[in-house]
Amino acid sequence: MFFSEMTARDAFKLTKKKMTEYQTEFLERMNAIEVDAHWFRRVFHTFAASFLFYYLLPDEEWIKLGKIVLPIIIVLCMVVVEYRRIRGDLDHQRFFGLRNYEKKRPASYLYFGVAVLILFLLFPQQIAIPCILCASFTDPIIGESRYYLGKKRAYAIGFIISVFFFLVTWYRADWWILILVSLLGATGAVMGEAKKLTFVDDDFMIQMLPAILLLLMWQGLLAMGINMLPPPLLHPL
Amino acid sequence: MKNKNDTRKENIQKLLLRLELWFAPVLIIVPIGVSFFFLWDWYVRGFSTGSSLYDGELLIGLLLLTGNLMFDIFFLRSIRILKKKQ
Repeated sequence: MFFSEMTARDAFKLTKKKMTEYQTEFLERMNAIEVDAHWFRRVFHTFAASFLFYYLLPDEEWIKLGKIVLPIIIVLCMVVVEYRRIRGDLDHQRFFGLRNYEKKRPASYLYFGVAVLILFLLFPQQIAIPCILCASFTDPIIGESRYYLGKKRAYAIGFIISVFFFLVTWYRADWWILILVSLLGATGAVMGEAKKLTFVDDDFMIQMLPAILLLLMWQGLLAMGINMLPPPLLHPL
Repeated sequence: MKNKNDTRKENIQKLLLRLELWFAPVLIIVPIGVSFFFLWDWYVRGFSTGSSLYDGELLIGLLLLTGNLMFDIFFLRSIRILKKKQ
């Protein structure tokens, strides 16, 4: 009886020791992983395209309210975090992947979030979706190709990709509207990315500039009695 | 023993501060999950009922999937390269 009790205790001790060793090794391995800030930023951009899930949310009364309130709360939290970071209450080092010029001004993720919020709440999805796609994919593609091909070619590639996004999302529109919208939207997106402003980030401009241009076009054509908007692309569950 | 415990605690603290390590799996898994949801939605509401109304879900699902996979590959490769360098 005594012998078996001892072995059980020994076995427990041995397991505990092995578990601790394994845990320590695992923690050390995890800490040894280095993340490349450059690619981290790129993946952060492409991740944002999954916000399009917003348009699949059902149209029931309480969810409709949540669709307005929740994005506002999320962006407000981001504003608080950024305010505290800029004031120095939160250590800048904890924010992985921030650029040097973002030390004393709001980081680009906040601009991105504000632009997505405005698009969700104030723009029809036909305009919002291609603009969010441009910010999610065109921006990192331009950034990457700028390294290898130079500015001009990078913007040309960005323009073609943006045209593709507008063509895909407006494919149900009349052909002349499709062409006009794609060219105007892509021009806005590339201009928003190319023009660097001191206080407004390109992540904001790449979404808002094409959106505003298309909004003006839509309202202008509406005044002439033409509704250029195609049927919605995504349908709530 | 005490020393070992200290290093463990130190490691845990370090890990908690490295937000990028917590974010990285989310940045990879969520978009792929969402894109599959779009594709599934297209299949259930559109393809299986023979309706072309939901083709938008298919297009967005494919765009999300290809766009994200493209960048995820480079991201994961960069982590591997840095690991090798160490």
